[in-house]
Amino acid sequence: MTVSALTRPGERDRLVVKFSEIDWLFSLALCLIAGAGALMMFSIAGSSWEPWAGAHLLRFGIMFVIMVVLAMVDLRVWFAIAYPLYGVGLVLLILVEAIGDVRMGAQRWLDLGPLGSFQPSEVMKLGIVLGLARFYHSISADDARFSWWLLVPVLMIAAPVVLVAHQPDLGTAMLILMTGVAVVVLAGLDWRVIATGLGAAAVSVPPMVMFVLHDYQRKRIFTFLDPESDPSGSGYHILQSKIALGSGGFLGKGYGLGSQSQLNFLPEKQTDFIFATLAEEFGFVGCFSVLFLYAVVIFMALRTAALAHSHFGRLSAAGVTATFALYVMINGGMVMGLAPVVGVPMPMLSYGGTVMATVMIGFGLVQAVRVHRYSEVTSGKGSFL
Amino acid sequence: MSEPSIFFTEVNERQGVFHRRAFLMGGLSGLGLLALTGRLAHLQLVEAQRYEKMSASNQFNFRLVPPPRGLIVDRNGVILASNRPNFRLLVAKDGKMDPEGTLKTLAHFVPLDAARQARLTKDLIRAPKRSPVSVMEDMSWEQFSAINVRAPELPGVTADMGEVRVYPHGGAFAHVIGYVAKVNKEDLQPTGPNSEAIMLHPGFRIGRQGVEKAFDLRLRGRPGAQKVEVDANGREVRQDSGGDIPATPGAEIQLSLDADIQTRALEVMGDESGAVVMLDCRTGDVLCMASAPSFDANRFVRGMTGSEYRALANYERKPLLDKAMSGLYPPGSTFKPTVALAALEAGVDPEIRVNCSGGWYYGGRTWRCWKHGGHGSQNMHDAIKNSCDIYFYQTALKVGPDPIARAAHALGFGQVFDLGIPGQKKGIVGSREWKRKAVKREPVWQPGDSVSYGIGQGYVNVNALQLAVMTARLANGRKALNPRLVRSIGGKELPSGAAVPDLPFKQEHVDYVRGAMIAVANDVTGTAYRQSQLGLGDVMMAGKTGTAQVRSYDNVADRNSASVQWKLKDHNLFVAFAPYDAPRYAISVIVEHGGLGGATAGAPRAREVMRVALLKDPEIRARIEKPLPMPELTPDGLAEGAAPEAPVAAAPPTAAPPPGDRI
Repeated sequence: MTVSALTRPGERDRLVVKFSEIDWLFSLALCLIAGAGALMMFSIAGSSWEPWAGAHLLRFGIMFVIMVVLAMVDLRVWFAIAYPLYGVGLVLLILVEAIGDVRMGAQRWLDLGPLGSFQPSEVMKLGIVLGLARFYHSISADDARFSWWLLVPVLMIAAPVVLVAHQPDLGTAMLILMTGVAVVVLAGLDWRVIATGLGAAAVSVPPMVMFVLHDYQRKRIFTFLDPESDPSGSGYHILQSKIALGSGGFLGKGYGLGSQSQLNFLPEKQTDFIFATLAEEFGFVGCFSVLFLYAVVIFMALRTAALAHSHFGRLSAAGVTATFALYVMINGGMVMGLAPVVGVPMPMLSYGGTVMATVMIGFGLVQAVRVHRYSEVTSGKGSFL
Repeated sequence: MSEPSIFFTEVNERQGVFHRRAFLMGGLSGLGLLALTGRLAHLQLVEAQRYEKMSASNQFNFRLVPPPRGLIVDRNGVILASNRPNFRLLVAKDGKMDPEGTLKTLAHFVPLDAARQARLTKDLIRAPKRSPVSVMEDMSWEQFSAINVRAPELPGVTADMGEVRVYPHGGAFAHVIGYVAKVNKEDLQPTGPNSEAIMLHPGFRIGRQGVEKAFDLRLRGRPGAQKVEVDANGREVRQDSGGDIPATPGAEIQLSLDADIQTRALEVMGDESGAVVMLDCRTGDVLCMASAPSFDANRFVRGMTGSEYRALANYERKPLLDKAMSGLYPPGSTFKPTVALAALEAGVDPEIRVNCSGGWYYGGRTWRCWKHGGHGSQNMHDAIKNSCDIYFYQTALKVGPDPIARAAHALGFGQVFDLGIPGQKKGIVGSREWKRKAVKREPVWQPGDSVSYGIGQGYVNVNALQLAVMTARLANGRKALNPRLVRSIGGKELPSGAAVPDLPFKQEHVDYVRGAMIAVANDVTGTAYRQSQLGLGDVMMAGKTGTAQVRSYDNVADRNSASVQWKLKDHNLFVAFAPYDAPRYAISVIVEHGGLGGATAGAPRAREVMRVALLKDPEIRARIEKPLPMPELTPDGLAEGAAPEAPVAAAPPTAAPPPGDRI
């Protein structure tokens, strides 16, 4: 049964109807990407489910179920928790700043005792999207174009970005910043403001690099600009990744036969550089197929955003999509030597629970937007909750 | 915050803007993905070959294989230095390994005490990344296999088979051949052969002394390479035997030494300290150059402990010193033939007699002869035979230092020969000019200097090699032979020591001195008669005894006292050649602190070594083994039927002199 705007009232709220409204083609694309990731992990572990491939699939399975469950959640619930989620994220970031664990030279983790530890910055990736979406839902197009109201989103973006950058986790800070900016732009920021902002950014980047960044961050950027200057040191990652990619050729070296990945030349091969592993063993054909799947995911998610009747739904779905697309671009660019090495994984393809959870919860929101695309979300008080 | 307008247009406007912007975002994403695809195509399709090459060079490594070091053989091809297989345990520092923990684990399999572990830990930390450090050499097969099985769990640990230098004769050739040892930091140079990567290989050894050092580059050979597939930590994954480059072994070096003679020389030296040098009188080949006591060169290859080394270095008989080339001694009476030759050349009539009463007063002191009662009236022949000091005091005084120095130089003293190996000391041959330059305290040659010069004391210092050269030149009688130690390198023969000009002496003068030396060993009154009997039929030896004082005896009543401390005893020297009628072998023996009179310690040893050389020589052997003259046969004897094949056995005892007389 197809649902349309003219469907009988109450019909759309039936669970079975909601379930059928989930974008299953979109879900299939997600499964294929995660499957490709598991395939590569199986290969680089020497044809073994241990230690990565099995865990990757299991996590994806769990997160897939969670995504489906989240898709059932009414958009008004999402709307209601938008500010609280953003608030919790901000508080956690402040807590990390105060009492967080220092791991690998960065203070990113919050120890939850027996529950393990997690990175509050991940909460913020979703929190910033929801928070901004709710805010823009409440203001007019004119205000969104250019008004004093825009100070609110500026502050909403700046606070977490500064906190995360201070941890220091430059990659995530940039990601949050760019996601936030994406939502602000999508909401209809004036072109002149955008142009001015871009200009200001271009001018301020060099002094930022020279004076604000940590040494290792600066080094990464210089290495990116000239990777061959230190092939065994900081340029090693980029160089080895490019070798893996290039030597894959058109059809790849064959499954399980990638010398760069199998012999450990490739660093972080199961996480940040898994795309290079794929490129080495399956060549251009394999890479193109996976990039195509990513394109499918991005465009279908954007289409879902465009279909939504509520402004909140549109902006939040598009914001999640923007995050996802940024992940793909940054990781792809890094692996191919187009972007500096920052710890941004390839979503769904890379091993790692945190990013998988963030992305799949985000897609749960996107699916929820699709399922509830006809709902009206009223603003302000007196809403659903 | 204003309440959002409920007007449709307003809502529609927000939607319109969003749609346009979302469309733009889609476009941007598409563009980004397209850029990634383009980059991918560039890397994977356009530059694929370049990266394939880089990937292969990542994957394959050439591992240096040290070449087998060249053999060193004696004149008959007997091996003096070769290589044997060696199971060794190597540890290389890589990425995350913990040197201390690894060594602790290894201590379960091979004996590694705490002190050694500490030293190796330090070595490992200092070693460059991935260059292996040898933890143990010469493991047993059980140890080797135990480690090899566990190596995959132990990062950086490998057990492999290499080669190690071995000297089968132990110490017999230690001074000539030297030894090899581990490469030090000081050995490494930025350029030249000592800059090669193979120097860092843990199995590589560098020549430290003697032939091993002098011909190190020739003995080294060229390293080969093994193609191996490695992972990012340099750990070997697979071998690709198709891509191997074989190593070129080092050149074989043949020495002129004879292993039998050399070994015998060291045997007869026993615990004594000294040197034996034997030359071939016709070619100058050094047949034996031994220094005693010696040391086991194999110990140095393995790496000595500090206490082992100190024991060798501090022993008063100095095993580490090569006494044959670098030990300098006053020649004592072995110098007398040289003085005699100088006198003959200077026109001294050998028949002029000098009376020896046991002492001669000259220059305010009494110069004593070694023989208390004196020798009586002596001509030159007698004086050499009896080693009369008084005769040579006076003769040297008469001739003066310069002619003696000229003769000494002509006979080989005061110079270094081109043996190919380092370590020779020139010694001293005194002359007026030499003293002017060298003795600043008293630059003028005093007559008294000539007096002691005449008996080989004072301003004269020689080594055993020079003594042997002098003897060989006198024995040869014509050629100013040069010693040759290295016969061939890598099959290419070096020039013989006989391609030299003749001696600058008149033949009859040389013959005269030689005749006197024959008398020393064969005249019953000669100083070394009893000790010089070879027992080889008519093959007989000629020689000259010598005693070199190590202290002044002015106040000592009995020089030959057995009670004197070893270090204060005289050096005992003897030079000889044989057979005296057709000289083939010349020998010099120095027994440090061997006591008075070259005959006591030197001559019996020279005789034993000489016997080995003579008996090895097929021509001499034929001469010795020729059937004894047929005894007068009685009819009875014939009736008994003597077998003609065994004339010696058939000979009646009376026909041959009793063997005891001949020995």
